[in-house]
Amino acid sequence: MTAPVEVEQPDLDTVVDEDRPWVVIVWNDPINLMTYVAYVFRKLFGYSEAKANKLMMDVHHKGRATVSSGTRTEAERDVHRLHSHGLWATMEHDS
Amino acid sequence: MVFGRRNRLFKPAGDGFRVDLAPEAREWVLELAEQLSTVLEVDDPALRRLYPTAYPDDPDKEAGYQILARQQLSDGRREAIELMRASAQRDNWTEDELGAWLGITNDLRLVLGTRLDVSEDDHEIDEADPDADAMILYHQLGYLVGEIVDALTLTLPPPTRED
Repeated sequence: MTAPVEVEQPDLDTVVDEDRPWVVIVWNDPINLMTYVAYVFRKLFGYSEAKANKLMMDVHHKGRATVSSGTRTEAERDVHRLHSHGLWATMEHDS
Repeated sequence: MVFGRRNRLFKPAGDGFRVDLAPEAREWVLELAEQLSTVLEVDDPALRRLYPTAYPDDPDKEAGYQILARQQLSDGRREAIELMRASAQRDNWTEDELGAWLGITNDLRLVLGTRLDVSEDDHEIDEADPDADAMILYHQLGYLVGEIVDALTLTLPPPTRED
């Protein structure tokens, strides 16, 4: 005998939720060197020198920059790689 | 100057890098790294920059992230310190070894900078300040980070994306 199979009903909220991309944000901090931050962007994301420097300057002057986006899993992986390089990164649902 | 005779302490050579870092500089960075390895699991506010928050607005997701991330970040640091031990006496380092020295040197800077509560404008060192020695150390670590970044930047592969 087996128990009746429960059919999982898709949770519509969750489905809609997962369609919105997550964004990875790097925040300004007073410790990391500007050259180091730009280097990490190039190394982790394959950005050009110009793009990496622009993102780094955004972090420096505006206090934050969005450096990548994707599914929750992809964003969490990027946040973790940034954390392993000592950068102050968080993730949030794009609004 | 404790670091070496020239400003280019690390030069691409063969598959890796030629290292011109003075033995005493290697020793004190490695000694600091060994100290760091003994406190990685300690719950110390000065270490908070080593284990940042991923989900500041969602405590449940954050708890899930930290369960795995904290251990992985600690393991990665232990592996990097092991690479430092293995390479400290050699004058040719692989890219991974130089990357390990960069990561841990930067971590040491993060911990020291957090303890000293530095701001972006802390360029002058006041000799009367009880933290003056620590500030000098902080800036020396910064110099080393800059040198390694310069060297590793030279060997970055071409960009993989247009945007």
